[in-house]
Formats: sequence, structure tokens, C-alpha cells
Amino acid sequence: MTDSAPPVSDLDLFDDEVLVDPYPSYAALRALGGVVRLPANDVYALTRYDVIRDALGDWEIFSSAGAIGFNPAVNEALSGTSLASDPPVHTRLRATLTANLSPRALRGLKKSIDAKADALVGELVAKGSFDAIDALARAFPLEVVADLIGFTGHVRANMLRWGQAAMQVIGPMNQRTAECFPIAGELYDWCSNVTADDLAPGSVGRGIFEAEARGDIPPGTAGHIIHQYLGAGVDTTIASIGNIVALFAAHPDQLALVRENPSLVPAAFNEVLRYWAPVHAWGRRTTRNVEIDGVLVPEGAKVAILFGAGNRDPRHYENPDEFLVERNPIDHLSFGYGPHGCAGQGLARLEAHAVVEALSRRVARLVVGTEVRVPSNITRSIEELPVLEVVPA
Amino acid sequence: MKIVVNRPRCEGHGLCEEAAPQLMHLDDDGELVLDREEIGEADIPLANAAVRVCPVAALRVE
Repeated sequence: MTDSAPPVSDLDLFDDEVLVDPYPSYAALRALGGVVRLPANDVYALTRYDVIRDALGDWEIFSSAGAIGFNPAVNEALSGTSLASDPPVHTRLRATLTANLSPRALRGLKKSIDAKADALVGELVAKGSFDAIDALARAFPLEVVADLIGFTGHVRANMLRWGQAAMQVIGPMNQRTAECFPIAGELYDWCSNVTADDLAPGSVGRGIFEAEARGDIPPGTAGHIIHQYLGAGVDTTIASIGNIVALFAAHPDQLALVRENPSLVPAAFNEVLRYWAPVHAWGRRTTRNVEIDGVLVPEGAKVAILFGAGNRDPRHYENPDEFLVERNPIDHLSFGYGPHGCAGQGLARLEAHAVVEALSRRVARLVVGTEVRVPSNITRSIEELPVLEVVPA
Repeated sequence: MKIVVNRPRCEGHGLCEEAAPQLMHLDDDGELVLDREEIGEADIPLANAAVRVCPVAALRVE
């Protein structure tokens, strides 16, 4: 075992400018090493594809317990969830979470999700100009998730701000995190008190309570599961659907490829996720001294996994800064990988494939104005994207 | 060589079937079925491709 220390950078991962466009910083960190120590954030950042994928697959050395967030309060709040635990506890919690969320459980939904996407895209194409984030990227997943879980009334109205806040507070204790804690708290309180009667009959949410009543899942866990659906599944899906529209608008030749060959729909979504990772950084903690890429990371070190940096690693992807749907990067890192791989990725694929399909069927070209981005601790998404003109198919 | 599924971990994402349809498929209930568990030298690259794309690391070749 080597004892050489990792390279050091004075970069602050959560600086406003870095958050808005992290890719130059990712490239600089990757050039320094597969693991780089960042004193500004008190973390060891993982930057290269192989290093990240190996760490994600190795829960014994890279623990999630009390470690996924970048401030102690959020790690405390998330303790006892599948997100923030290791096997064997994690295995049981994850099974409970995915019982209603795995592709297996969601197979029956494809038709209705496709129909919703097609109707919404059809309406927007007819309108001709709209904000792609508000009218599509937010509207569509909010409708799908609200109907799925059975949300009604004021909860539906709060889903967007609750979902945004739940991701924001995973960052370090900066102003954004401090401002969002009370909002994330509203979500937590609501989920702690929600009952079956608050959710629409026949919904997946109601089904989770029925599973709890039958004893299929431990008492008191139904609310936690709903919390994870909302906290983890809304903001990231919105980001990726906004990214689909923006990247197709910027790369009409790539949209044309999908139009000519609809079997490229899944490949196009994989490339959108690779090109712009919805999640900036995610935490782990080392359980022992570990050698990574020839340098030593000490036991108990806080680790920041930079999915977007790994996704643009030229050691793994040829011309990584090009957006090319035909490369079909099925092994991209944006859903994570391994035991903690995104639990909602089946639903995310259903939604995103429906949007890509509808766009590629109905749209020849999108003329857009300037995209607006605001700094955000964890989710990297577009805030506003005016579509000025739709050239219909 | 043998393909091994970690059943509790498999969630039926189906990416393995896309990578290696000759070796495995999801049945009508979305459960993974290995069509060939024992594999010869020739199928090892295909099996490794399936292992590689499993998003939850539920497959291995041993």
C-alpha cells in the first residue's frame, strides 16, 4: 500500500459559478487525479469513471450510513432510510421501497404515461411557444407522480417546492441549505402524519398503507416511503426532462436521428443523462484506509462522488464532451450504480422515454431562447427555457 | 462458468436482457429467467456485458 497523499485543489464544489457550470471544474479535477482532496468542503472528491463506479459498487468501504449529505443535520434527518444505510439493514429497507416502484411493479403504467406525455406535447406543439421547464419538465412528472402516489389538494400544489428543498438541504450548510430546511421540514411533517385516507383510492400510495396494514412492511414505514418518493424522485426527474428539451433544441441533428430511428429513444435518454448529470455530488464515508488510483484515502474520510465528472471522463467515453445519441452510454453514472443505484430509475425511464418519443414524433425542430440557470446545491437543472417556435413534424 | 443472480437485489430493470437476449429474459411477471445458467467460453463476453449493465449489480459470472 502506498502512503502518498491525494492531490489537493482549492476548488469549492458548492460555489455559485461551479454549480451553474461544473464541467470546467470537473475536467480540472479529473486532470489532477481520480481522487482529489478539497479542503474547502472537507471532502475527497472522486472524479474519474472507474474510480466512481468501483466506489459505488463497494458499500463495505464506501459507507452510506450517515454519509450521503454534506451537513450533519441532513445526515441525522436521513438516518434510518435506505438511502443512508448499508446492508444488511439497507437490503430490507430497499425491498420495501422498491416493492411498488421497481419496473416489475410499474409495468402496467407504461400506456397511461405514454398517453399523458403525448397529450401534453401535442398541446404544447399546437401552442407553438411556451416555457419548456414550467409547461413540460415540471408539469409532466408532477402529474405522473401525483397520480401514482395519489396526492390530492394542497400536497399537489406543494410537490415542486418540497421536492426542490429536499435535494437542496443535502448540500453543505450554506444559505441555500439554511433557507430550505424549513421547507424540507414541511414535507417531513406531512409525511409523518399522512394516512391512507389522504391518498386517492387505488393509488400506489394507498397500496403502501395497505401493505403496512397487512404487516408486509414494518409499522410506521409507509410515510417514510412516500417521503422518499417525493424527496428523491421529483426534482431529479424534472431536471432530466428539461435537459432532454434543451439538448434536442441545441442538437437538431441528434433529434433527427431519433426521428428516423425510434429504437434510439432509450439511447437518447442515456446520452442526456450522461451529458448533463442531474445530481452534482453525493456523499459516502470510508470505513478503512483505502488506496484509490495509487493514493491513500484515510479511514473515516468524507467522500464526494461527482457523477458528472465520471460521465465526461475521456478514459471511458470517446469525445465525452460531444452529445451523440447513438453512443448509447448505458453504463453512465447518473443513476449511481450497485446496491444504492437509483430506486426510481424504472419510473424515470418510463417518463423520459415517453417524452422523447412524443417529441421525436411531433417535433422537427425547436427554436429556443436563452436558458436560465440558478445555482443549486445538489440538483443541476434549468430554471427557465423559453421555446419560441416549434417546427412541427 | 456460471451466471448467478442475486435474487433479492434484482428489481427487473431488464437492461441485461437488452445486452444478452440469448442468455436471459424477463418473464410476463417481470422476473428474470436465465435461459442458460452454465455458459461456455464463447458466451462469456455476452454474459459479462449483461453483468456490466445491471444497474443494481445483481448479476455475476463465476
